[in-house]
Amino acid sequence: MNSAPMGFVRELVRSDVRDLTVVSIVGSMAVDWLVASGKVSKVVTGLVSFEGLGLAPNFRRAAEAGDIEVEEYSEHLLICRLQAAAHGLPFVPTRAGIGTDVLDLHPDTTRLETDQVTGELYVACTPLPIDVAVVHAHVADADGNTRVDPKLIWMDSDLVRAAGATVVTVEAVAPRSSFTDAPERTTYPRFMIDAVVPAPWGAYPTSNYPSYTHHEDFIREYLGASRDRDRFARFWDDRISAPEDQAGFLEANGGAATILSIMRRAT
Amino acid sequence: MSREVPGADCTVDELMVVTLAREFTDDTRAFNGAASFIPVCAYRLARKTHAPGLVWAASSIAVDADPPAIPESTLSDALWDGATMLSNSPFDFWAYAQGARYNTFAFRGAQIDRFGNVNNTVIGSYAKPKVRLPGGGGMADLGGMIPNVYLWTTTHNPRTLVEKVDFRSGLGWGDGGDHRRRLGFSGGPQLCVTDLCVMDFHADTKAMRLRSVHPGVTISDIQSATGFEVAMPRGTVGETDLPTPTELSILRDVVDPTGSRLREFP
Repeated sequence: MNSAPMGFVRELVRSDVRDLTVVSIVGSMAVDWLVASGKVSKVVTGLVSFEGLGLAPNFRRAAEAGDIEVEEYSEHLLICRLQAAAHGLPFVPTRAGIGTDVLDLHPDTTRLETDQVTGELYVACTPLPIDVAVVHAHVADADGNTRVDPKLIWMDSDLVRAAGATVVTVEAVAPRSSFTDAPERTTYPRFMIDAVVPAPWGAYPTSNYPSYTHHEDFIREYLGASRDRDRFARFWDDRISAPEDQAGFLEANGGAATILSIMRRAT
Repeated sequence: MSREVPGADCTVDELMVVTLAREFTDDTRAFNGAASFIPVCAYRLARKTHAPGLVWAASSIAVDADPPAIPESTLSDALWDGATMLSNSPFDFWAYAQGARYNTFAFRGAQIDRFGNVNNTVIGSYAKPKVRLPGGGGMADLGGMIPNVYLWTTTHNPRTLVEKVDFRSGLGWGDGGDHRRRLGFSGGPQLCVTDLCVMDFHADTKAMRLRSVHPGVTISDIQSATGFEVAMPRGTVGETDLPTPTELSILRDVVDPTGSRLREFP
């Protein structure tokens, strides 16, 4: 529900890609759209939900029908696997997951081991390399220097560091001087970023703190429509997949009135 | 729906919040996950009454937040107003959690068993689930890492409180006894606060044990609403202590004026 690259995801669900494996540490709307579009064969995640608003309807339906494989980890087990990939290490240790059934789901990638010196238990999390990471940010320059304003809060950086390639979608493209003027605020350097995609309001209908919050009405209507197959098909066409561009997509979901309702004051 | 507490000027949601809040002290350093309205209310109430030094990181991110109201999601940035720091998840949060700088966490699940283990992954088998739930998220991490775990549920019935969870997404006292300590974890679940009663855990067996019943609820109600045999303490079981007028007015007017806590009641 926060800073998901929804503009990119929307084009993905309109494309003809298939058999995706989606890795999402904490998933929500993006995962549910990708699953709804039938483009996903496997979801690797800690959790997929719409928080207090409800369960993720398409994720749930596909998992119960056996249409997708769900490889569940906990948040920190996934983070450690991504960090092992980022650092090129055989494993990263953690106490996460000890004593739960989560470790038994994948004993090869989350191995319960005993430290030879102290005798303490730990979980060895093996690398989880990502082919392509897609993240949303506030500003990038043409070379890929990227800034999340005012600072990175979510877990995106673990995905970026574990990825063979990263696409960043941004609210705005700025000149290089925007970065040389305040280099202490840069989140990702250009050598970590492979493509910059201008995508204003590109996290909509999720939030992009502090500029705009998530669009609660959209989420409620999405969840409401998902209770009926025909209703959801209409919602999917009209509100998500049919609009040809970002302007059309925003227009289909309330346009200027929606934008004004989700804008936040800067903090 | 929440309900009136007989003989008291409050409702069950308020009784649950106040019961939890009184457990917290100036040494409590807490954070919250998704859909955690009751513990968020409790942390805030404790800080505005007897525990001004309590630390609460809203959404596990916004340290010392003090929002004017609680929004529709406890992971929403609308919960972060007044914070002194927005911490970063991988760099800050997980070090504070695994290093026990944070010492208090509360979670609920679709199922809770007699040893306080929690399931939020599947009902039925993992491979062919009858119901696919959201997933454990951080439960499998934090249930062990955090020494003071508080459980709550607003649906005290035999489907929620079960003998054994279908999938152990979050560790409580494990198989009971010293199991958790053998796994290398300190502390464990302290309380389970429900819409019917308050339960703690037997010091040796770590089985859930009745501490008090909410007014109007009998011990026999608890046994028939629970999917395992609830252990009984020595002596009599009293009624849950009622909120004071001051606690109620701060909860209603300052902590949660929009009644977000009622979102927890189906």
